[in-house]
Amino acid sequence: MPVSVGMLIWYLGTALELVFVVCSVARGSYFKYFFLNLYFILSVLTSVGRFVVFTAYGPGSDQYMYVYYYTDPLLTLALFAVLISLFLRVFEELGFAKHIRLGAGLLLLGTVLFSYAVVAQSSERLSTKFAYELSQNLYFVGLVLTYILWGAVLKLRETRTRVVQFILSLGLYFSAYAASYALMNFADKGSLIQYLSQALGCFLPLSWCITLLRYTEESRIVPARLVAVPR
Amino acid sequence: MSRRLGALVLAMGILVGAMGLKTVFTAHAKGTLVANGPAIPPTPRPSHGQ
Repeated sequence: MPVSVGMLIWYLGTALELVFVVCSVARGSYFKYFFLNLYFILSVLTSVGRFVVFTAYGPGSDQYMYVYYYTDPLLTLALFAVLISLFLRVFEELGFAKHIRLGAGLLLLGTVLFSYAVVAQSSERLSTKFAYELSQNLYFVGLVLTYILWGAVLKLRETRTRVVQFILSLGLYFSAYAASYALMNFADKGSLIQYLSQALGCFLPLSWCITLLRYTEESRIVPARLVAVPR
Repeated sequence: MSRRLGALVLAMGILVGAMGLKTVFTAHAKGTLVANGPAIPPTPRPSHGQ
């Protein structure tokens, strides 16, 4: 991949993440959506760290590979926390907070144990393989959780526009990554598909920024318009 | 069934579903799936692939 295009997407994505945090503070929503902000703050810090190593050692170096794959589970964990915080928001009126936290804890523990069980038999460096495996497994858990959350939004007729848009964007983000991953298996090296997964990193902060700027906390959406119903 | 047991069963069900989905997606995969941020991915190595 030509580094210049990749770098451009990297700068843009990091800038959008910063814009989200700034918009969130400016709109007084920082603590209301704390985990969303935390995810982007961690992502920006990670980007800075990765960039330092990238420029010092290059994209093919062991150093960059280790920094990249060790910081990835940290971000995936933060994204998991984002999802759970959205679950708590959707279910807050039903009083399920304690059970959601318990379920999330069990799910995380199960994922960690499963990831460990998979890599335990590996003869390679365990911690590196574990970090990679955990990140992958948490991604797929996040994908399933997002669709369950979307189902809950439809069933409970959630009307808060911001919450609905955040969840929709997250669903698109996860699904698009899965699609780009599938496409990557058919793509040649150096094709445009190579940029797709990187560009998708810009999608989430962009869509969440638009949501924050376009809608207030009081904005409501008609749930019936979210799903097609037979006449 | 108590709510706690329900949370446990649901969590395990989600985990099984997610791992099944992962198996379907990564069965014949060539690359690596990293879904965080816009950073340039490192040059793939065989030891960190599937």
